[in-house]
Amino acid sequence: MDKMIRNLEHIFNPKTVAIIGASATPNKIGNILIKNFYDARFHGMVCPVNPKYDEIMGFKCYPDVGSIPGKVDCVIIATPAETVPGIMEECAKKKVGGVIILSGGFEEVKRDDLALKIKDIAIKNDIPLVGPNCLGVFNPYTKIDSIFLPTYKLERPKAGGVAFITQSGAVGSTVMDLAAYYGLGISKFISYGNSTVLDESDYLEYLMHDDDTEIIILYIEGAKDGRKLFETMKKVNCVKPIIALKAGRASGGAAAARSHTGNIAGSYMAYQAAFKQAKVTEANTLDEVFEFVKIFNQPKPNGKRVGIITNGGGIGVLTADAVEAEGLQIAQFSDETKAGLAKILPSYGNVGNPLDLVADAGVEAYGKAIDLMMADTNIDALLIIVLTQTPPIDERIIYVLSNAVDSKKKAIATISIGGTYTEAYRKILEGKGVPSYNSPNSAVKAMERLMTYAKYCGKFKKK
Amino acid sequence: MTVIDDFALLEKHGFRLIPYYFAKSEKDALAGAKKIGYPVALKIVSPGITHKTDVGGVRLKIKDERSLHIAYEEVMQSAGVNQVDGVLVQKMARKGVELIIGGKKDPQFGHMIVLGLGGIYVEIFRDVSARLCPVTSEDVDEMIAELKSHPLLEGARGEKPINKKVLEQLVLRACKFMAQEDIKEMDLNPVIFDEKGCDIIDARFSR
Repeated sequence: MDKMIRNLEHIFNPKTVAIIGASATPNKIGNILIKNFYDARFHGMVCPVNPKYDEIMGFKCYPDVGSIPGKVDCVIIATPAETVPGIMEECAKKKVGGVIILSGGFEEVKRDDLALKIKDIAIKNDIPLVGPNCLGVFNPYTKIDSIFLPTYKLERPKAGGVAFITQSGAVGSTVMDLAAYYGLGISKFISYGNSTVLDESDYLEYLMHDDDTEIIILYIEGAKDGRKLFETMKKVNCVKPIIALKAGRASGGAAAARSHTGNIAGSYMAYQAAFKQAKVTEANTLDEVFEFVKIFNQPKPNGKRVGIITNGGGIGVLTADAVEAEGLQIAQFSDETKAGLAKILPSYGNVGNPLDLVADAGVEAYGKAIDLMMADTNIDALLIIVLTQTPPIDERIIYVLSNAVDSKKKAIATISIGGTYTEAYRKILEGKGVPSYNSPNSAVKAMERLMTYAKYCGKFKKK
Repeated sequence: MTVIDDFALLEKHGFRLIPYYFAKSEKDALAGAKKIGYPVALKIVSPGITHKTDVGGVRLKIKDERSLHIAYEEVMQSAGVNQVDGVLVQKMARKGVELIIGGKKDPQFGHMIVLGLGGIYVEIFRDVSARLCPVTSEDVDEMIAELKSHPLLEGARGEKPINKKVLEQLVLRACKFMAQEDIKEMDLNPVIFDEKGCDIIDARFSR
């Protein structure tokens, strides 16, 4: 299997892509696929396969895979399930690099016979097989894209460090659309469907070695092999943090259970246990996935002591409440920090944590306060509240915050609460990789997850 | 498998149950109680009764022969139409925190171990924490910390903290037991802990 996982490289970084079931009819899957490659200006060669056409959208069309000259790295199959085993045989004969089967009609409709046939061929020939019954893959670096949804309806995210493995195509596609909307950069997208050959653990393994991937999101309904997933998560998580969302949590406690344990401990409890033991960050909702993932690009804190900066007293208090509720600590500033902060505050201000710069605070005060807290070894991470509604705050705050983040000295989460105007700021900040939240609670919760991860993965300094 | 077979198998695997005596008659129960020493507890043993307390099949703090005579009558009556194998005479347990140590074989992940607030309200409070077997001592520490009732284990209201070392050993032993005997479901409940150690009062498992 190791060799097959390595061979996934052919699928994610192909020079030649064959699309089987290519069509000239608009809105057919076989047409959307080609249009997407065309629109994305895919660098490699696109080879539609369909005996009915000579060319589609200017791409030369071939009657079968075998007729394509030279090596074929990635084959995307979108033809009915019955035709797929035969096509797989041709792919094996052509020695293709890898195959994505988008078509449904296999295990999910009890056609295990067909699934078994394609599995045999793939394993015998070391052909990595994504799917079937899936959206396949998307790699913004190489522009390989088998998501058969039009780009004007489902925007593709920009290139970045977050990989997304999803069992569900529907969840996968909406998350991609939202990632594009929020400006979250993606390294690899994998919708793996029935996982007939390669399963969630295999993709985790691949991504652990993928240079472009820094953080992994895993959406899972039911594991193909729970123990294998557990062991793989343990191996991968401290190299690259995994944020997992498990759907389908109905307890399923056996009605016939004769013990209390049998009644209480459903299958979701086993997943929870696996996540906890592998130190994987579990998200409870799709919203949490986005809230958590955007803070994992930050430096790993050495402890749980936070410094809070605000230009609005009340939001600072709410944030301090959230800090306590999540089990984080309000940092005690060093004497140097206190002295420095006293100089930037107006005469009626008080040096405290939360540090209230008051509504008169301009961008310069933020810059100085951030510098002082970055230098204070009593502070492990910063929560920076910026209420953009106050008159002195202008667009220069974006540079102050993104410079602070780019310095990579300490983990930062920013909080800006408000409507259309504030949301515009938040979107710009997120696009620059500054974790930005519209509530203290979501920011603090995300920070807690990052700190817990840092603690378990050996980043906390020994006390 | 009767409760006595279950207890015997647990003992074979090194679990130390609270001293017990299985009696088939009142006379036998009296002899057992004498051997164990008063005060004792008396419990109905019937294949049809899973939750003995719910039917009134448990009498505690029996201090002498006369009380045992009355308790025996009451416990036998609690069985109703159920077949009765006998009664269990047990030494009265120490006072302490009632915990459950449970286990289950999950179809995907294999054996998992569950620690929680035990006793008769397990399924009401559902204050439990689970891990996949095998577990480490750090895992057990985390499981304890995750319980809402963990202040009880740390010694609330002037009580001393429970013996965590003994708890840890019991959890590790339970994981090993499930693996060796391929257990499908298991309850050790209640297990009563104090600062010195613990008493395993009741156990049930299926293979």
